[in-house]
Amino acid sequence: MATLTRQDINFGQVVADILCEFLEVAIHLILYVREVYPSGIFQKRKKYNVPVQMSCHPELNQYIQDTLHCIKPLIEKNDAEKVVVVIMDKEHHPVERFVFEMSQPPVLSISPDTLLSHVEQLLRAFILKISVCDAVLNNNPPGCSFTVLVHTREAATRNMEKVQVIKVRFTQYCNNMYWKHTTQHFFTFCMQLYVEERAQKT
Amino acid sequence: MDELYLDNIDEYVNDHDKIVTYKWLSLTLGVHVNTAKQMLYHYLDHKRKESSAQLHATYLVSGKFVDKGQTVSLILQYEESLYCKARMSLIVSVHVYSVQKALLRDSSPLYSVDYDAVRDHLQSCAKYSAIRCTSAVPLSSVELQQARERQPAPTPEPVVKVPSVNGEASHPSKPSTKSQKGIMGMFSNKAAPKHQDSVTEVKLEQKEVEPPKSKAAAKVSPALNFFGNQKTKKPNKSDKADESLQSSSRLEQQQHQSSPPEKKPEAAAEESTKGSKKESRSKTKRTVDSDSEEEKMDKKKRRRIKKPEPDSSDEDSEKFFIISVPGGTKIRKRRRVLKPKTFVDDEGCIVTEKVYESESYSEAEDEAPVKQAPTKCSTAKLHAAGNNKEEEKKSQKKTSANTNKGTKQASIMGFFQKK
Repeated sequence: MATLTRQDINFGQVVADILCEFLEVAIHLILYVREVYPSGIFQKRKKYNVPVQMSCHPELNQYIQDTLHCIKPLIEKNDAEKVVVVIMDKEHHPVERFVFEMSQPPVLSISPDTLLSHVEQLLRAFILKISVCDAVLNNNPPGCSFTVLVHTREAATRNMEKVQVIKVRFTQYCNNMYWKHTTQHFFTFCMQLYVEERAQKT
Repeated sequence: MDELYLDNIDEYVNDHDKIVTYKWLSLTLGVHVNTAKQMLYHYLDHKRKESSAQLHATYLVSGKFVDKGQTVSLILQYEESLYCKARMSLIVSVHVYSVQKALLRDSSPLYSVDYDAVRDHLQSCAKYSAIRCTSAVPLSSVELQQARERQPAPTPEPVVKVPSVNGEASHPSKPSTKSQKGIMGMFSNKAAPKHQDSVTEVKLEQKEVEPPKSKAAAKVSPALNFFGNQKTKKPNKSDKADESLQSSSRLEQQQHQSSPPEKKPEAAAEESTKGSKKESRSKTKRTVDSDSEEEKMDKKKRRRIKKPEPDSSDEDSEKFFIISVPGGTKIRKRRRVLKPKTFVDDEGCIVTEKVYESESYSEAEDEAPVKQAPTKCSTAKLHAAGNNKEEEKKSQKKTSANTNKGTKQASIMGFFQKK
């Protein structure tokens, strides 16, 4: 197994591509499982050799793609600390937060033959966990909406002018049930998924 | 049955929040699938009796519907399974498919679980299966290697043919369609003749000839007559190997590239001996003879017959003389005749050109045109600078047409004679 540093290959770009693809699938699946939008706008697609649900609505898809397009440069430079999918009620109060924490190790060991299949297997595990999150989460109130937030490291703020985002100071207003879904250690990056839920949703 | 498995299933479902399918349980615990199904049933029954945390289960129902008589296998929730069983005239099988805490909205997670389970136990995924086939035995490593060696053997031959014959990256066509392509390509080329099309057709024809098939060869040989190539020897050549054909074609190319300049000086020497013979042949036969002389150039590119351009140098070199024999009835003369000549140019293409060649003829063969010839020749001499090149061409054409009159078969140019 060859040991490569991050300078040997375009490491950040590879990781950003993989993560952005996965986040797109995950966001669509979260919207389907948590019934943020009617199930009629979703259709089955194939990703990582398993069926997943993806929205057919063009504006929704465009919003998700644009958001991930803005996040991608941050992930490339390892400036993104976590990506959060926040589900809000009619009053725009968050009721649930799906948090994807990610980090990239400086030195990595790559075996090209097994890397791709292993990464796919781990990402499938994330998707499976999202599919069964209904078991531990309560039902959401009707009329919910969602948004995507990205938490960056402090060093990233210097280059934020190029990215179309709204800078906010995060204040903890959802500190109830903390349910850790899964933590997966990849060869090239480390990702953890957990859900925060408000005790009283209605 | 040992109750330890109940604790295992409880750990998977409640602590790990897994979706436990019978297939996954079978592979994980190493038990037969029917045993795994019974385990899940017992676990579910046990939990319902305890009235503990709510669990959800999916069932596989197989049977025949009353309405359409359709045999189906469905994975359903509990309530839906009861509904379907009531609608079935024949119930073949009902068993627990999976147990999980969450209410599943579709079957995608079930597929994902089974996919990962089978992938992790790929070599032994059918070990605990209820589906058996006694004749399905995995091949040994030796047998597997032999099977791999057998497969690629027939494929390289068509691939090798293509680049050396054509020089292009074209995929090998099937033998059943080769002859059709060649024949249909003939007709398409005939409708819209192009250099490239003729080249490809010749190549396709070559492909047809190469495999030892008499039918293909028979189809090709009459079709190729359109191009005027000799076709009598093609069936013989179909017996040759592909590589030998290719090498011979390459050699032919090289030879014919050097042959055209040699043929021109040789043609003048041969005309006196062959002139009489050539006069007796029609145009088609001329082409056959030329091909018989040039049999090595069979499978080359061909171009249209070029119209000859009159050269002033040729006019100067020709000799017109009249031999008069005392008391004689024979007068031999030399005249310019338009004859097709085939050679290979620099690009390797077969070029047929009509060239003026001087040949001797006797007055006895053609009396009428002989009278004209001197006058025409004299006019040619007077206008050697090239003012009346067109008249000369016409006269030469007429004389060439008249030479054919001595043959048994009337030539097509016969009606051009002056009466």
